[in-house]
Amino acid sequence: MGKPRSHKAEKVLERLEKKLNRQIVMSLAACVHCGNCSSSCHYVLANPDDPTYQPSYKADQLRKLFKRHVDWTGRVIPWFVKAKSIYTDEELEELKDVVFGKCTNCRRCSINCPMGVDHATFNRMARGLLVSVGVMPEGVAVVSKDQWEIGNQMGVLKEDYLDTLEWMEEELQEELDIPDIKIPVDKMDCDVVYSINPREVKYDPRTIAEAAKIFHFAGENWTMPSEGWDMTNFGLFSGDDDLGGAVGRRLYEKTEELRGKKLVISECGHGYRSTRCEAPNWGKIDVPFVMESSVDTMLRYIKERKIKVDKNKNTERVTFHDSCNNARSCGLFEEPRELLNLVVTDFQEMYPNRTENYCCTGGGGAMSMSEYTPNRLKSAKIKAEQLKATGAKYVVTSCHNCVDGLTDLIKHYELDMKVTQLVNLVANALVIPEKVKEPEVEKVEVPVEAEAPAEAGDLAGRKILVVDDEPDILTFFSTVLEDNGATVIQASDGDEAIEKVRQEKPDLVTLDLNMPGKDGGQVFEFIRKDEELAETPVCIVTGRPELRRLIYDRPVPPPEGYLDKPVDEETLLRNVRKILAVG
Amino acid sequence: MSDALHFASHRLQEVALLIMAIVYTLRLRWILKFPAGKERQAPTGVGSLNPRGSIIYSWFNIAQPWAMESTRTKFFLYLQFVVFHVGVTVAIGLSFVIPYGPGLLEYSTIVLVIQVLCFAAFIVGIMRIIRRLGSKAMRVISSPDDYFAVLLLTVWFFFAALAAPNNYAAGEAALLTYFWLTAFFLIYVPFSKISHYLYYPFTRYYLGKTLGRRGVYPIVRGNK
Repeated sequence: MGKPRSHKAEKVLERLEKKLNRQIVMSLAACVHCGNCSSSCHYVLANPDDPTYQPSYKADQLRKLFKRHVDWTGRVIPWFVKAKSIYTDEELEELKDVVFGKCTNCRRCSINCPMGVDHATFNRMARGLLVSVGVMPEGVAVVSKDQWEIGNQMGVLKEDYLDTLEWMEEELQEELDIPDIKIPVDKMDCDVVYSINPREVKYDPRTIAEAAKIFHFAGENWTMPSEGWDMTNFGLFSGDDDLGGAVGRRLYEKTEELRGKKLVISECGHGYRSTRCEAPNWGKIDVPFVMESSVDTMLRYIKERKIKVDKNKNTERVTFHDSCNNARSCGLFEEPRELLNLVVTDFQEMYPNRTENYCCTGGGGAMSMSEYTPNRLKSAKIKAEQLKATGAKYVVTSCHNCVDGLTDLIKHYELDMKVTQLVNLVANALVIPEKVKEPEVEKVEVPVEAEAPAEAGDLAGRKILVVDDEPDILTFFSTVLEDNGATVIQASDGDEAIEKVRQEKPDLVTLDLNMPGKDGGQVFEFIRKDEELAETPVCIVTGRPELRRLIYDRPVPPPEGYLDKPVDEETLLRNVRKILAVG
Repeated sequence: MSDALHFASHRLQEVALLIMAIVYTLRLRWILKFPAGKERQAPTGVGSLNPRGSIIYSWFNIAQPWAMESTRTKFFLYLQFVVFHVGVTVAIGLSFVIPYGPGLLEYSTIVLVIQVLCFAAFIVGIMRIIRRLGSKAMRVISSPDDYFAVLLLTVWFFFAALAAPNNYAAGEAALLTYFWLTAFFLIYVPFSKISHYLYYPFTRYYLGKTLGRRGVYPIVRGNK
């Protein structure tokens, strides 16, 4: 009788054979262990004493299963080719740490392999096998769940998305003093349907406004979809082809429903790759319309003189970081440079670049796997040195994931540099046509109830309970909220929070999740289940996105707000005002 | 020439080649039973080649050491690779020349060239063994198959260099060893890592097809 095998291990082996295609089989069979790939991996370069970071070693963790169960030599003389099976859940966990924690699927080793072995492709396949049996980092589980259930990977609700578009539209109208500038939603028969990354809604809504500004001045007939707007695709990171295909299908179907002629994908490396290149394959979909990156769109507008730009508006030295997905998997590397040279005066190339550029180290979903953060930041040393050598003040990238990865490493390695995107630079360089002076007509003043802008003190009379076990956060939140007129009560653990919420009946609770005693999830459920307190608005604040399941898995209505740490003053106030409907 | 040497250089080689051909045919059938993925995305990129061009580029990538960072920055290793594989080609060719075209070996220059190439490959083989044993990183990724393959080829190069003069009158030991090793090599190859050359056209074909369509091939790199 053979060695007993866990149910999950059994399923992984069963699915391995089904997932194999000729390309992957060849990549698994062809490695000669020459070691040439090693020096192309940023993990190896940052961890020279640990040979287990080598791409070929990592690949062998899947290859040994392939050899033991599929290839012939490994089935007959396994020891000779290091073929090995897998039996326990612990072994699956170890495999998880390799394929998720030690590789960002950046594909740099693939293009440097003399044999043409595509490590990144079968590393993704290994992820998919593990995900199919529920073995994955918590963050991957949470984000995948959001993308399956809510339709976007950050769990942005439809009303929040539409609110943000409306808010950005108002900001634009005010900023440009053009009342008819619009962010159209679900407009039929447009030339451009614009899809975005939910990160733009949650953390960087200005990029939506800036894109809208560019579309407006280009005279584009465009729209944003009310659903199926998330062009990111966690299926690429998790290796789940079903999710990948389903996410792509949502976008394609919505674009078809709107009879859009072209789907434009905002600046996001993995979103562009997934939407334009991979999802048609995952979902077996023949997409009937054109898809392009917003980088191509902006470049075309300038070339066709639809918009005018003045590069003298961007005079600081900038460098450009090629996203792995854009450059190494989609060949999008000359277009951003061409565009950049049209909108900045001082562009300094980093080295290596284009298809040979190093990963931002936040790719492959790494930003959502907080358990591997120390490793990620250590491996980011290579990127930090590369950035520093340019002497640039700004690093430009066409990828939201890279924005986060680079921002994190810039902070960690204390570089004097900021991250920005092409849309920001193009919008800044935009030459706004002067308004044609309208003939003076007698205007009839109609008194309207003006919407008061948010201002200091607008939280006066509001009682807010701040719950966090970190004294610094308590102090920071309290100061910001009190400066804006709120009355703040503090609690530093779950039990104290329950006591205070009962006593004080606040207008809002900002709630940390990971705390001593009762965790935030338990406190949240208590509030929601208490008849008197159930309506109290709650804003979850956490530095660990994987803990979101503590909230969403509970059989109670979701919280009114959600913030990822670190939270800055502006974000805190914006969200608090939004929840309390102030300003 | 003794009967033993005649057998080793003729019949043994033919049988070994036949076995190799059968096993390779089976191997090809095995490869082709896996489905090939269909690429549905529209072609992209400024550097994109037509599919045939990118596949050819991919196949000959290895002959362009400047194309990949891994070969560009480790030129000495690349040179070793070239010498080693030229040695393999020459040593295989020799196993056909001796039985079917021995007249070629009457030219001392040709014999000398073969010997120099095989001996150079032998030296590289030793360097590769040392590298594989001496480097912690290489040991971690190496299997018994990796060690045995390089050892087998290194010994084979040595005997190929000795067998090149085809002077059986002076002694047949080197020739016999060379032919028996060649036969073993032919039969053993399909089961070992040495069969990578059978996979190479496939891996490179698919990588070239995908990356060419996506405008990644041919590799464009910016200067420092």
